[in-house]
Parts: sequence; C-alpha cells; structure tokens
Amino acid sequence: MRHLLAVAAGLVVLAASACSAPTPPRSATSPSPTPTGPAVLPAPTGDHPVGTTILHVNDTSRPDPWNLDVQTRELKVTLWYPTEQKDGQKAPYMTPKESELFLKGSKVAGVPSDTLSKTRTNAIKDAEPAGEKLPLVVLSPGFTKPLSSLTSLAEDLASRGYVVAGIDHTYESYVTTLSDGRVAECIACDSDTDPGFGPRVVQGRAADVSFVLDQLPAKWDASGLIDRSRIAMVGQSIGGAGAMAAMVKDSRVRAGIDIDGSTYTRIPKSGFSRPFMFIGSEQHVPGGNDSSWDRDWKLLTGWKRWIAVTHTDHQAFTDIPLFGPSLGIKPVYGFLPAKRSAEIARTYVAAFLDQHLKAQRQPLLDKPSTQYPEVKLCPENCGKS
Amino acid sequence: MTAIRTAIRTATAGLALLLAAACTAPTAPRSQASSAASTVCAKPYGRLPAQTPTTIDVIEQAYFCILGNYYSGATMDARSLLTAGFIALTRELNLSGRDVAEATMSALTGDREDDWTAFEAVYRKVTAQVPDLSDKLAVVTLEAIVASLGDNHASWAHGGAGAPPGYYDGDGYGLGLQASVYGAQVNGNPGAALPPLFVTTVEGGAAQAAGVRPGDIIESIDGSAPFIDGKPTPAIAALYPQYPQVGPVKLRLLRQSTGRRWSVTLKPGVYERDLAALQGVTSKLLDGGIAYVRVRGFAPDAADRVFKAISRLRVGRTLTGIVLDLRGNGGGSPKEAIRLLSAFVHGKNTAYLCTVDAKCEALRTDDTVELLDLPLAVLTDRSCASACEHFSSAVKDLGVGKLVGARTAGAISGPSEPFKLTNNTMLAFPTRHHLGPNRETLDRIGVPPDHYVPLTPKDAAAGRDPALAKALTLLHK
Repeated sequence: MRHLLAVAAGLVVLAASACSAPTPPRSATSPSPTPTGPAVLPAPTGDHPVGTTILHVNDTSRPDPWNLDVQTRELKVTLWYPTEQKDGQKAPYMTPKESELFLKGSKVAGVPSDTLSKTRTNAIKDAEPAGEKLPLVVLSPGFTKPLSSLTSLAEDLASRGYVVAGIDHTYESYVTTLSDGRVAECIACDSDTDPGFGPRVVQGRAADVSFVLDQLPAKWDASGLIDRSRIAMVGQSIGGAGAMAAMVKDSRVRAGIDIDGSTYTRIPKSGFSRPFMFIGSEQHVPGGNDSSWDRDWKLLTGWKRWIAVTHTDHQAFTDIPLFGPSLGIKPVYGFLPAKRSAEIARTYVAAFLDQHLKAQRQPLLDKPSTQYPEVKLCPENCGKS
Repeated sequence: MTAIRTAIRTATAGLALLLAAACTAPTAPRSQASSAASTVCAKPYGRLPAQTPTTIDVIEQAYFCILGNYYSGATMDARSLLTAGFIALTRELNLSGRDVAEATMSALTGDREDDWTAFEAVYRKVTAQVPDLSDKLAVVTLEAIVASLGDNHASWAHGGAGAPPGYYDGDGYGLGLQASVYGAQVNGNPGAALPPLFVTTVEGGAAQAAGVRPGDIIESIDGSAPFIDGKPTPAIAALYPQYPQVGPVKLRLLRQSTGRRWSVTLKPGVYERDLAALQGVTSKLLDGGIAYVRVRGFAPDAADRVFKAISRLRVGRTLTGIVLDLRGNGGGSPKEAIRLLSAFVHGKNTAYLCTVDAKCEALRTDDTVELLDLPLAVLTDRSCASACEHFSSAVKDLGVGKLVGARTAGAISGPSEPFKLTNNTMLAFPTRHHLGPNRETLDRIGVPPDHYVPLTPKDAAAGRDPALAKALTLLHK
C-alpha cells in the first residue's frame, strides 16, 4: 500500500502488495522532466470563499492502536468551511517538515524537500466561518497520505456550503504534526503486510470518526453552524473503506463515498440502506481485480451508485496528480489531465452530497453524461477492462 | 490488494511457505532480467493481464523454462517431466470416461527437443478427439510436470477460484481448526507426522460452532484413520480444505479429560479470525526480564519490527534474554531472516545458495545490524518452514542460541523465483538450492531442536506451553 505515489508518478499501477511483481524502473530509463515550480490548486467552484483551521483532539478512552507507548489517541482535524472573508493569508498546504517526510516516505527525490509546502491553496487561514445549518462532510485520506492530499476536494466542498472535517489518522501517514509540534511518522506501515491489516485500519478509522463527531461541538467555536442531522463521509483508498466502516458503526453518518478503496467492513447480512457511492478508477469495475465492491454491492439495499472513470488510476482523484509536475513527475500518458480528474471528483462527490444532504435531485447521478463521457455507471454501463 | 488477499487465503490453507518464497525472490531490473534467464520465460513485471487458457504452447514454454532455469534443469532427464505430464493426461481422460485410443506415450530418446516434438504430436492428436476437455487436460498436464520436480518451492499459479463469497481480509477458510499435523506439513512433508492427531487451536468457524476444543484427539476423518501402524494416511489432508472445496468433513473425536467420544460434521467455510492474533510480530515481557517476541512470518520489515519491539521492552529495564517464537512461521524473505540473525552474530555465513554444479554463493550476516547481546532461545515446530529454517539452522550451527520444540518443516529447497508464461500464469521454482551454514542439506530434513519438547494433547487442552517453559528455564540458568 505504500507505493501509491509511484502510481501517480506514472509508473505501472500496482496495488503494491507483497506479491505483486515489481514496478518497471521507468525512472532509470527516462530522465524526469524539470520540476515546474510550486503547484497551484484549482480554484473552488462554489459560491463561497473558503476558510480553514486546524484542531487537535485527544481520545483518552482508548490507547493508540499503533504506538504501543501512547495511551491515548490524538488526532489532527482540519476544517474547511464557507466564510464571507475574501482576503487574508492563504493556509499553507503543509509544513516544510511535512513536505520533507511525505516526499521521503513516497521515495520522491531530486526536488527541494519543502516543495509541497509551497503548493498554493485557496482557503484563508482561520477566517471567520459563515452560514447556518451547514451539512458536515468527514474526509479521510489514503494510507500513508496526509489529509492534505485531499485539499482540492475539501476546498471545493466548503465553497459549495459544506463544513468539511478532515482527519489525519495518526501513525497511518508518513507525517502527522501533533498538537505539541512533534511529528508522528507511519508506524502502521510496519504492519501493512499482515493479514487482517485492512480491517484493523478501518476499525480504528471508524473509532476516530466517531470521536471527532463527539468532540466537534466542544472543540470548535463555530460548530453551531453545523446541522448535525446532515453528516456524510468521503474517503479515498483506505479512507473510503473507512467511510464504509464509520457508517456501519455510527448512525450519525447518513451517507458515504468510497473513492477507489477496497473495503474491509462486514456489512450486516440483513443489508445496509443508507446511501453509498463507489467512485472507482478504470480498473475498479465489477468482476475486476478487487472483489470487495462486488461483495458489498449486493448488501447495499438503499440508494447506491458505482461509477468507474476511464483513463484514471488510483490517485487520480487526490491532489497528487495536481502537484506531480512540481515534483518533476510526468503526467501519465493516456490518463486524464490532473485538472480533469479533479473536476470529475469534485462534480460527482458534490452531486452525491447535494442529493443526500441537501435533498437536491441530481440527474447527473442517474444516467451517463455527455459532459462527462469518462464516467461510466456500473454495473450496467461499464465492462470489465 | 487482490494479491494480498490471495496470499492470505493460500497462507491459511497452509501454503505460506511456497507463496512467501515466490513473493520475495529478488527481481532484477528490467535491463538485467533476460541475461540470466533464458529467453523462453521472463521474470514478471507490473500487473499481469488477465489469464488466458493453458494450451500446448504454454506447456511447451513451461517445459523449456524448467529445463533452462530450474536448479537441476541442465542435468535432469527431461523425459521424467514429459512422462509425468502424460500420466496425468491419461488419468484425466480415464476419470472423465473419455479415454482415447491414440493416448499412448510416444517413444522418447533423451533428446530434449525431439522428445518435446514427439510429445506434442501425441498431445495434439489426443486433445483433438476431446476438444471440450482440452483446457482441463492442459492444466492437469502442466500441474503434473511441475509436481514431478518434487520440489516444495516449485509451483504453478494459475486460475484459482478467486475469493470465497463473503471473504474479508484476515478471514480464514476451512474447518476453523489447526491440528498437531499442520496444513503445510500435509502438503510438504507428510511422512514426518506423528500420532496422535489432535486439535491444537480452534480459530473459529465450524469447529468453534461445534464446540471442538484444543486437545481433542481426532480418531478418524470421514471414517478413515489418520494413522495406520503409526504412519500418517492421506485422510489427514481433509482437515485443511481449500476453497472451492466445500464438502463437509466428519471427525470422530475423543476428549481425554472426560473420556467422551463423539462425532462432529464440519462444513468448510469462511470464518472471521482474531485480528490481534494475525499481527506478524507481537511481543511481551515475561518474568525475569525476558522479552518474548513472536514472529509469524518473515514479511518485509519483520526484522525491524522485532528490533523495535525489543528496544521498547528494554526501555527502563535490563533484559536478561530473548525468546523468539517461530512456531507456525511459514517463512518469507530470506533477507529478513538474515537481518534478524545479524542482531545475534556478525561476520558469519548464514546459508549457501548452490547451483547443481556446486557453485555456491555464501549469504553473509548483515553487520550493519546492531548486536543485541542477549541470550537467545528459539521455539520451533514442524510448521517453521523455508526462511524460518534458514534462521533456525543458522542459530543452531553458529551457536547463537538454543532451539526448543520440534524439528522444523524441512521445506527449504531454495528461494523460489517467478517466471511468467505467455498465458499470464506464473511458474515459480528455485534456480539454486539452499544449504545450511555447514553446507548441510536442510530440505526434507529440517533442523532438529536442541531440546525436543513436543506438545501433548493434555498440554493443548490445558493451554500449557511446555516448550516456552523449557526455553525460560534455559534462559534463567
């Protein structure tokens, strides 16, 4: 699971399992193009300017699942929300230290270690929140990835009137900055080849999500803006599997999206009726390499969608293709341009949330779209590739 | 991730050693790949496209791939491969009630190419008579050719049934029990099994539902005795069904504590297992400052995980010794075995990898690993296989610690290397054989413990661990 940045780096797509054949050494044969300078995240598409702030919460009721020497579970939560404030300092994408450790963990070399900290974001740091009865979206990143890797999606949702609470699941990312400034590295990476690793991670993520939902009212002054009857969760890769896990465990989460993550949660045999959407890369189709979605699809008894997007890989819906050029990583030949896959992610995630949290019907989700021909509705309109 | 899942499923079925070895063979960069291997078959790269049916051309590729690359490929009598394949083919024709008049073995001369041509001609003639069977015939033929190597690290990965319905990562498949004769042993070294056959662990599933407990003696399996005159019978293999085997298995059990005799019928299936018990490395502090570390497999990072666990237990106290529990460790990466060993000894050879003409590469300790300077006891059993035996043999031969428990599996022919066939299936086998630090053969022999402390049904029933107790006695001396 640790090699996923390589996917975005244009190397052959591998789920990086112990038994997958190794990736061909492309970098050895073709020199990397020159880094382009700092990446700029695409502007949010909604009506509202966006603010962002960081909270730290500490669950004293359970020990950390990965660091055996820590008796509590500390989490970093990044909030994005609508604001009326148009000017102000833009929030940093990540700290120089976070950039350094993320690049090191992802085995990206040849660029200054603080490159990602220079990525330009759109959200204003600690701006005053605005709005009322806002729906809440919990966001959870892929394994080894900091939450920052979903910033483009988070900013866009906030501009459309959602409060986004993104969680850095401590020790499951190459880097998480803790409340006292210490940096937690990826201890969970030590065990990612264990049988049952996926279920262990998503059990923990579900507990993290419930704790964050418990804590938000006390920890965030503006939490009164949130309509707590309208909560959804969106995650990428194992974060998407975490969305499924959180929904099964915590009925406060009313709807969920799994972006290209194999799932690990036992859905009750009696079925599961809250709305759920799978967004897959082009490989993630019924009867494909991952059978977990086929398994779960039968148990989803409520509103459900499974879409697969052609010419995309596992990281297509994260920021990684957006900032790839700043690291000297060539876009993958034949894959969608980074901006296009980001647009598709933003559009379909927002459509799902608008339908289920804002009760606005979205025809986009009901039939193939001429505007987004890359998006195939499964199982009817997508074949095994 | 599918590969992970497949690996796990196979591992639970008792083939961990084979797969782990296949997974961990060092792979040369693309530019170097074709120089060592003959051009007949290459190392796999990237995601394998979907498999296509096995044909005579694929069998031909496998035949020459084995002759060109297998450990003894250069010197073996190739006729043995073709004969084994043809036996399986005729057996399958027979079984399906479709015997073919032309299905007689052609005369073989000992010339590898000519013999192949003769074999192929007959093969084509036969399969043309039964076109609907041709896929199945090709599969059994190639399976038999690979099996005829008699090598526990040779395998052909093809088809497969996929994940059982309702399977989740971490689940087991089967009856939900482990017995004193392990799955790996049934496949790899059945002759080494000792009576009585009894349940050692109940993991879940049908066994748990039926109230089976550790220590229960298995007197018969589907009406057959597990041992006749002290020798194991093939009936034992039925304890470890692999998906898609779904037929129920009837066990006659004896619980010694009560004298009760009864029968249970267990249906194989997917069952949930305790996630905590699946972790590759777990540790705890035992009385007297002894660190107990269990290593369930030599996965990537295994050695570092052990080192981290020990340094954690060392914080604020003086450790007096280490027990490494390698029981059930089906092997994995030789590199990890070497790194772990290197925390106990430097400047030594841990093993030799030798070609059939006795050209050997010495595998050295990694002297960048910091020495732990602690007395060591290692718990082994008959399911400690492959890299686990590499480690255990070096502990014994280099005198860095004591082995306690039972002899290791004897499943360490040599590191398995993968080769891709044109239908996107994978052949894997050793190109070199593994010898211990004294250049002794370990394969099929295993490593005997310094202290033989077998588990009895009474120990299993009472949850006692006499091997661990013995190890602690040794370390406390």
